[in-house]
Order: sequence, then structure tokens, then C-alpha cells
Amino acid sequence: MEFHDNYPQYEIMSNHDEAHGKKSRRTLWNVFWVMLAITIFELIIGFLAPSKGWSGTLGLKTLFISLTIAKAAAIVWWFMHLGHEVKFFKYTILMPYIIFIVYTIFIVLTEGTYAGTSGHFTKVDPIFKKQQEALKSGHHGGGEAHEQSSAHEATEAH
Amino acid sequence: MSHSTTHVTEFDAKEAWSGGQSPFKISYGKMMMWFFLISDALTFGGLLISYGFIRHKFGDIWPKAEHVFTHFPFIKQHIPLAYVGFMTFVLIMSSVTMVLAVEAGHRMNRKGVIVWMFWTIIGGATFVGSQAWEWYNFIVGTDLFTSIKDCTDQGHIRTFFDHNIGETVTRHIHGANMVVNEYGVPQFANYFFFVTGFHGFHVFSGVVINFIIFLNVIKGTYEKRGHYEMVEKVGLYWHFVDLVWVFVFTFFYLL
Repeated sequence: MEFHDNYPQYEIMSNHDEAHGKKSRRTLWNVFWVMLAITIFELIIGFLAPSKGWSGTLGLKTLFISLTIAKAAAIVWWFMHLGHEVKFFKYTILMPYIIFIVYTIFIVLTEGTYAGTSGHFTKVDPIFKKQQEALKSGHHGGGEAHEQSSAHEATEAH
Repeated sequence: MSHSTTHVTEFDAKEAWSGGQSPFKISYGKMMMWFFLISDALTFGGLLISYGFIRHKFGDIWPKAEHVFTHFPFIKQHIPLAYVGFMTFVLIMSSVTMVLAVEAGHRMNRKGVIVWMFWTIIGGATFVGSQAWEWYNFIVGTDLFTSIKDCTDQGHIRTFFDHNIGETVTRHIHGANMVVNEYGVPQFANYFFFVTGFHGFHVFSGVVINFIIFLNVIKGTYEKRGHYEMVEKVGLYWHFVDLVWVFVFTFFYLL
């Protein structure tokens, strides 16, 4: 602890007095109420969605995902205090993550579109389609293909 | 007690990298906690994206969460998403109590830290317990409140590959395991178990770590040290757990 050089003690730099504490407590509670309101709103929408026919619509997905990102941003910015760190640190934390995740979402959903079994938005890979037709007509050679077809049947049974 | 109340945000790039100080103006421990959280966030990101891939693949036959998660303790009626709403509330609430503990630490208010950390631990434990209850209902099945005799008639018919006998069988299925479930494709239960389980384990670890730090606060370790940065570091971890739940909640329950 008693290591005397002039290196700044960042551990105590974020300490503050009562006046500052009062201000930051107010901010934190406000963030909490907003997050609670968003969650209740999401639940009401989620509760109403099946009867109103909103389930699975693009609008609903967009709404839920943007509200989620808003909540996540609030947690990172105020609760995790990233908003008060220096700019360079913010970028060091956020940028690599955002770039990587956005790219992964893009590439996995692109690939997922081709790996589908059916559905109006699914572009079925021609080779995959051929395999599926072969499986359906009964010319499958056991092993993995066999399991695949049984999994396929399981999904159709309900 | 320290009187340096400034939250330094000015940044002079030339000076920052010339040595003798942290260019990030942050302590080593806190920075490393952030780096750990980034790596953990990549793990969760990978899991959720692969979940998205599988869900995209089975898009039109994926079970709807509001048909699966309908239980509420002590109530026989089925209320979709109510209990998970309660769980989310508990976790957000515990995140607030955690950040208030951190704030009390910044004022060197030991009593405040103890009170708020106590409630954080209670909230975390409640959440883990609730998740165990969710899993129980998920594994046992949706017709939990009908008698066992009725269950055999109401089970859902599923055709699946039984690894024990090595052939494909058709049976009445009630509840869920890793091979087959009553709700839909097997991947639905697999991802539910893996991702909520992985998150639940994070919550459990968080409660344990919080408890250790809580004991240290009571002992006065940080009072002697002159700062409560350790509370801030476990606070970062705890908020991260809440952050992940926000996404799990959306992708597993809402969408």
C-alpha cells in the first residue's frame, strides 16, 4: 500500500462528497424507473402480442431489440459508470466488441438463411434440398442422415 | 477520506502516453475487470448468436414463449410471462442496490455499503431460486397442476431417436430433457438449458463473490484500505450479469 512514487491513486479518485453523492443517487434512481417502465411496457406488449396478431412481426422484433439495446446502454453507461470514464477507455471497451458482434450477427444470420428447412424467407441451398428430397423418398443410408430425418419428423409431429 | 472529487474526463493524448500515469485514468483492477467482462460478453454474444442461427433455421416451427412459460407460484391459472417479469424486476432492482452500495463506498459510508450489499445478495439469491423454479416447471411440463393420471393422456406425441435403445420411437412426452421435449424442436430445450443455465451460474457466482466482499466490508477491510474499489469491481460484474439477463429475457421470452 505504502509504495511512494508519484503514480496517481485512481482507486480514491472516484470518491466524492455528500453533495455529489446526492446528485448521482438521483440520476441512478431515475435510470432505474425508466428501465422498470421499459420492462413493464415490454411485458404488456408481449402479453398482448398473440391476441393482436403481432407475434413474430418485424415491427415487434425491432421494437423489442431496440428497447433491449436501450436498457443495455443504460446499464453500461450509468450503472457500470462507463459514461464517466475517459473517452479513450470507452472506445477501447466498446469498439472491438461492437465491430465483432455486428459482423458475427451478419454472417451467422446470412448462413442461417441458407441452412433452413422451410419457410417463406428461407433460401434453401440446392444441394441441401436435393439431400432432403432423397431422404424423403427413402434412399437414406443410415448414420447421421437417419438421425437428421428423425429430428425432422419430431418437429413435424406437434 | 479523499477530497479529490473530480471525475477527470479531459484527455491529452500526448501527455497520457508519456508514462507515470494510466492513459485510461483508471486503476489496474478496474481495467482488468472490464477486459474480463468483454471476454465474457463475447462468450454470451456467441451463445446468443448461435441461438439466433438455430431459431432462424426452425423459424416457423419454433415454440412460442408465451405458451411455454405460463406458471406463477401459488396460482393455478396460467399467466404468460408474469413470473419471468418478476425475475427481471428482481434482477434490475438488485442492480440498483448494487450501484447504491458502490455510491455509498465512494462516500466511505461503511454502513450504507453493508445495507445495500445485503439487499443485492438477497435479490441475487431470489433470482437464482426463481430460475431453479422455472427449470423445474420446464422439465416437469406444462400440465403440472393436473393429476398425474391425466398427464399420460395429455402428453404430446413426439417421434425421436432414443439413444438408450438405439432406434426411433414415438411416445407421449411430458416436460423436457436434452433429447426431446413437449414444446417443439429439441434445440428449444437445449438452448434454454444451456444459455439460462450459463447465466444462472454467473448469477450464482456473483452472489458468492458479493457475499465474500460483503464479509470484508463488515470486517472493515476496505475502511482500512481507504477506498471501496473492490465493491465497485464486484459491482461491475454484477451489472454485467444483469446486462446479460436483459438480452436473455428478450430473446428467450419476449421474441
